[in-house]
Amino acid sequence: MEQVKRTGLYNSHLQLGAVMSSFGGYEMPLWYKGGVRNEHLSVIRAAGLFDTSHMAGVGLAGRDARLLLQRCFSSDLDSGGGKKKKPLSSGGCRYGLFLREDGTVLDDAIVYQLQEELFLVIVNASMGKKVADHLQQYKGALLLDIEELTDRFGKIDLQGVNSARILQEILREPVTIFQHFPYFTAKGGFSRYQTSGTVILDDSTELLLSRTGYTGEFGFEIFVEPSALIPLWDKLLWAGEELGLTPCGLAARDSLRTGAVLPLSHQDIGPRPFINTPWDFALPLEGGLAAGNAPPVFSKDFIGGEALKAVGWSRYIVPFAGFDPRKITISEESCVVAGSGRVIGEILTCTTDMAMERQGGAIIRADIAGELKLKGLSCGFVLLYERCGYGDLVWLKSGKRKIEVELRRDLRPQRTARLPVKKMLGKPVFSKKEGGE
Amino acid sequence: MKEFKELLFKEALLYTEDHEWVNREGQTLMVGVTDYAQDQLGDIVFVEMPEVGESFSKGDEFGSLESVKAVSEIYLPVSGEIVEINDALADAPELINQDAYLNWIVKIKPADRGELDQLLTPDQYRAMLEE
Repeated sequence: MEQVKRTGLYNSHLQLGAVMSSFGGYEMPLWYKGGVRNEHLSVIRAAGLFDTSHMAGVGLAGRDARLLLQRCFSSDLDSGGGKKKKPLSSGGCRYGLFLREDGTVLDDAIVYQLQEELFLVIVNASMGKKVADHLQQYKGALLLDIEELTDRFGKIDLQGVNSARILQEILREPVTIFQHFPYFTAKGGFSRYQTSGTVILDDSTELLLSRTGYTGEFGFEIFVEPSALIPLWDKLLWAGEELGLTPCGLAARDSLRTGAVLPLSHQDIGPRPFINTPWDFALPLEGGLAAGNAPPVFSKDFIGGEALKAVGWSRYIVPFAGFDPRKITISEESCVVAGSGRVIGEILTCTTDMAMERQGGAIIRADIAGELKLKGLSCGFVLLYERCGYGDLVWLKSGKRKIEVELRRDLRPQRTARLPVKKMLGKPVFSKKEGGE
Repeated sequence: MKEFKELLFKEALLYTEDHEWVNREGQTLMVGVTDYAQDQLGDIVFVEMPEVGESFSKGDEFGSLESVKAVSEIYLPVSGEIVEINDALADAPELINQDAYLNWIVKIKPADRGELDQLLTPDQYRAMLEE
């Protein structure tokens, strides 16, 4: 059996009283002493710190790096990403997937263009070699080098409304850095993976800083040389103390990403052709998916594209939210049923977002201003065998246990990920860590 | 999670293999989950309780505890009728994490006190956990 690995912060986690568990081949913190509910809410109200050094990467350098990515990556780098039709340029990054030729998902990833001929692809834990090999397989005569980056960088995610305020305390030139820092862009660099500018801490540590994350809330992903990882973690905890910064484990990471409608690779996406999902924006679709089963029209050819066009795929991944925190354990016997009792699907993810609750039917969000102690709502993703509508009520079932849930386009309201940096500096509304509730 | 030596036990109680406890004395018996159970679950965010007046047989599922990521069914240690449920848990499910023995979940009128003899003593429960 393969040895379970540890990140450079393993001992730091133990010192903080973490409950550890195995994930993606690494021993990672599930939660710390304060518990998962406190961690989830800290990201919503103040800030959370995540060790994400278990993630892997692939570096692409050379004249045809962009071409190879265009060939293999689902998103069209030469046109629309997100809401604006802007090509990917240096300093920018893009979310998408690497599909196999049959249209199933190898992994999801964020691609960074650091320079015109230098790209960094961040993938999930244990996927570095597989994605590097995949790119190598389709390289053909293209001119570039592909470098697998497994355990080659330290990574920490800083997420929550106080993230920029915390970084302000430790960056050498915070004013310059935060002058203009749009969502899904990156600055600085580590080892040979450099953008054209630098980002350094007051102690001269170099880092790559991106406005990305996996919580749906305002924040950053930070990449450093492995030797700088522990000092960076300690420095962030110190700088964030007065601003409510809380170390967060994988359990909070999972509940936060679900409420933010983000997929988990190998659970929500993977063995199925990637289409009819909440993340179809990662496909190079021209003018959206047609109604019915008309084949999609893509703005570029890419590995997996033909398979997605070839057959009308009648499976639909849809987000759902319950009406209380009750969940269904996913197992062989769990399923989704219609009111009539007919089985119409299966459950992919089911967890509780502690920062949401129903009030008069609508979903509201816990935030800094609210005094409410929210009970949380179950939420997640289902895979349906037939097309349903947003607002439809279905049942999640396992044995005799049944919970009613609502199919929804979106889950946790008023997420802060895209807020302009300028709004996230200055005096915080909420600064001290809350005492026990 | 707690080391074995950090776990709390109450000598006056009886235990089940599924980590419920029940006290032995009184007309009505109190039922809850053990310190080990709450420690394993982590933050409890919801307690699903039965209705007063419902009857269950020994070993029946009478409710569930929800953590952020999981659901854990709870089973009645002895047959009986629910006479009271702990309303405080509706607003503050985390009370079970704070003190699993103080914060009972249901009170029951037992149908057959003889069933208490089938439960684990504190020593037997501790021994089971140590394995």
